[in-house]
Amino acid sequence: MLYSGRIFYLVMLVIFWVLTLSGIQIARRGKIPEFRKLAGLEALHEMVGRAAEMNKSIHFSTGDGGALTGTEAPQVVAGLAVLGYVASLAARYGVKLTYSVFVPEAIPIATDLMRQAYVKEGKADLFNAEEQIRFLSNTDMAFASAVQGIAERERPAASIMLGPFYGPAMLQAEAFKRVGSIQLAGTARGYHIPYLAIIADYTLIGEEIFAAGAYVSKDPTQMGSIRGQDLAKIVIIALTVLAVVAAAAGSRAISSLFKI
Amino acid sequence: MSLLVRRQIPIVVVFLCALLPLADFFLKIPGTGPALKDLQSWGVILAGFALVFGAVNLSFLHGRHVLRRTRNQWPFSASLLLAMCLYSVVGVFLKPTSTQYQWLYNTIMFPLSATVYSSLAFALTSAIYRSMRGRNLETAILVIACVIVVVRNAPLLALVVPYATEANDWLSSMVSTSAMRGIMIGASLGAIALGIRTMLGMETGFLGRATEGE
Repeated sequence: MLYSGRIFYLVMLVIFWVLTLSGIQIARRGKIPEFRKLAGLEALHEMVGRAAEMNKSIHFSTGDGGALTGTEAPQVVAGLAVLGYVASLAARYGVKLTYSVFVPEAIPIATDLMRQAYVKEGKADLFNAEEQIRFLSNTDMAFASAVQGIAERERPAASIMLGPFYGPAMLQAEAFKRVGSIQLAGTARGYHIPYLAIIADYTLIGEEIFAAGAYVSKDPTQMGSIRGQDLAKIVIIALTVLAVVAAAAGSRAISSLFKI
Repeated sequence: MSLLVRRQIPIVVVFLCALLPLADFFLKIPGTGPALKDLQSWGVILAGFALVFGAVNLSFLHGRHVLRRTRNQWPFSASLLLAMCLYSVVGVFLKPTSTQYQWLYNTIMFPLSATVYSSLAFALTSAIYRSMRGRNLETAILVIACVIVVVRNAPLLALVVPYATEANDWLSSMVSTSAMRGIMIGASLGAIALGIRTMLGMETGFLGRATEGE
């Protein structure tokens, strides 16, 4: 019934499920976990406020790679969650928000998400899907070139880049830096985090982008799941320490667990 | 739109679609493999439709710029529409494997991509220059690490400076790798938690809602 060699992974997955669900249940009972401050997400208000003062736009992008059907999909989904929040802020302050699309599957989702945000703020008339949601290209170099062009022509007050970013992301971030945009960038692609970190004013590293949606929404159930995620992290750390100690003592008990 | 259509049906569809790859990975159930392949094919087909949707979005947006003669924009929009038409016509009527399409790709798209890619060197240099200004302890550590890596990778300096290779290897295999693994474990757990939230209908960004209650 079960594939051998994968049983331990299944056990771990079940443990993560249980921890996440218990985190959610605890939050629903009113014990909402405290989040440490994420400077980048705290700065979103400042970014939108700055754009309103300067009468300039905000540029948003959810990656220059991946697809909603691939392994990078969670990052795109995480970016879209923040897009909804930024759209609410932009609508509230009357700031133009433009979303540059790499993954065409995201167009209908982003349209719905942004329209809902504008409607919720009572500014439905300000939303223009064709002007604000622009599919540029689904090849990375063409996308980077198009975003650089947008940065130079529109000179947005702020740029938010959250999603799967690859090498050319640096060209985009550098273009926004050149025109003086305040920048928030985040990706879970380990190799490309340093590139964004040295350019952007605020950076979200790895798991922070997955928690961003919960952080900005302040939704108790979403925040509770982050507590579960932290508990899972403790389990992983404990297993790692146990494996190191066992290996140092000459035992392969922990590492053999992975072969069950 | 009713609550059932807007909220419940998409969540059930997402849950079932997410359950299938999990079942296929962990359980020996006949039929899950082909079903997963079918599901992935649907995903590819939907992505193909979305690409057409994207092309339509692009054509409308830039078509309007050309018609309105938007300042600083319309010539770029016109060239984009022209290129789109050219590639589409040649691709559809002569196929992407044809000599004509290959010529168009190899003489226009490929060199342009290479040019954009090579400009990364300038962006990198400029960004590194800004980040290398030692303002605090963290940047000082960064500067020292960068100097070691640069010395190691500059052929002549690596010969002259003692222990450059060892220091670089230690930085790369111990410091950088361990930090990267920590980040990747955290990111993977974050992705799993987001997956669980998505399957249970709690991560609602992709449904056009900010929170579960909306």
